Amino acid sequence: MSKELAETRAPLWTISSRVVVFAAVGAALYAVLGVISIRIPGTQNVDIRPAFALVAFIGLRFGPIAGLFTGLVGNMIIDQIQGYGILTYWNWSVANGLTGFLCGLVGAVLLARANREVVRLVLVAVLSWIAMFLAFLSTITDMWLQGLTLEAWAATAFGATLLSNSLVMLILVPALDAIWEPISKRMGR
Amino acid sequence: MDVTPRYLGGNSFLGHRDPRVLLLVPVFYLVAVARTEDLRVMLVCAGVALAYYLAGGIPWRAARTNWIFFLSLALLTVTVNSLFTDALQIEATRQAQPLFEMPLTGNPVSAATLSYSATMLVRYIALAMVGFPIAFCVAPGDLGVAFARFRVSQRLAFGVDLTFRFVPSTAAKLTEIIDAQRVRGYTHPRTRNPVRRLISLKPVVIPLTVNSLIDAEDTSNAMDLRGFGAKHRTWMRELIFNRTDYLLLGGFAAFAAALVAYKVLGTDIVWVP
Repeated sequence: MSKELAETRAPLWTISSRVVVFAAVGAALYAVLGVISIRIPGTQNVDIRPAFALVAFIGLRFGPIAGLFTGLVGNMIIDQIQGYGILTYWNWSVANGLTGFLCGLVGAVLLARANREVVRLVLVAVLSWIAMFLAFLSTITDMWLQGLTLEAWAATAFGATLLSNSLVMLILVPALDAIWEPISKRMGR
Repeated sequence: MDVTPRYLGGNSFLGHRDPRVLLLVPVFYLVAVARTEDLRVMLVCAGVALAYYLAGGIPWRAARTNWIFFLSLALLTVTVNSLFTDALQIEATRQAQPLFEMPLTGNPVSAATLSYSATMLVRYIALAMVGFPIAFCVAPGDLGVAFARFRVSQRLAFGVDLTFRFVPSTAAKLTEIIDAQRVRGYTHPRTRNPVRRLISLKPVVIPLTVNSLIDAEDTSNAMDLRGFGAKHRTWMRELIFNRTDYLLLGGFAAFAAALVAYKVLGTDIVWVP
């Protein structure tokens, strides 16, 4: 995002009507598009979920609260639609939410300083990947919740998620951001 | 896939409960069945879940598609993770004497593997039975107020309310965009390459996202003009727990406590007939 736009942004922790609406729209989008996913066999129900890009994108563009809400509530609704119940994999919903939250934080601090378009897009991809990596480390709680060994968690849960989400973070998040940038400038937000 | 919330069990026992009960019961139930390994115990838990589900009065015909989708997914997950591969790496299933090897992967299957797989499947089904009433027995308009009564920020509680209002319209928009792109020659490629499959989704994901976000700007402006957040928000709907609500919650809390005690004492192991 451009420097002027970043400067006119509301404080990070304000829950304005804009944050509420974008969080709700993000969660609804994530819930609907999240159903389109490709299950990876031999893993802890890990999917390649293109819609996961929205969590990072909403966090980067609309702040940590909107990102947290989109990931947390969106993932819970996807689980509910798929029949697993909103709380069965609550720690994975938290990891989704944390991804959006961390993207919002690093986006506010680092992206505002990127002046060139290409640099910004590379930063978007790299920062969202790092945020996703850190957030999904929290799924180590599966060792206690699902009774997994460290090796099983690393191979079938975290490793598989890292692989599928890396594709999404590196391809779709910069694509979404590049498309939204001119629209956001036109709207003056 | 129908993602529209449907209020099917409004006149049932669960439909008359405070929506907070329907949100809290799955929490207690999840605590109760998490890591349960004994198939016999899990079957008893499934009985409790079935009784709860039937109290929701959800017509089978209306929820049939959801059940078929869920059962296919659960069966696939359990078969792949427990039988074809050793993704769960449960110690008891490794120590038992193998009965046969699975074709293709050669994964050894013992009586303990079969028992644990059945436990997993029953657990998924039981959790779905406890979770479905949230989708079908809570009036969509009550979710926001229920979260607000949990002392979640009033604005975020309104956000939950908004999310459930946006889901059906977003799903309808998705269908429109897919149809419009098909008219322009869009086809989903038949490839197993995940990168190509991801890229092929761009003509659908991007217009839907951008359109929804542009509409969101209008919604946000309309809310600002109506003074959203200027004062503490109040809700028309009053939620009060009655005696039945307390009894139901107390029953599930006791059930969770009993199961946790049973597991802590170390008597819960994979059952081998």
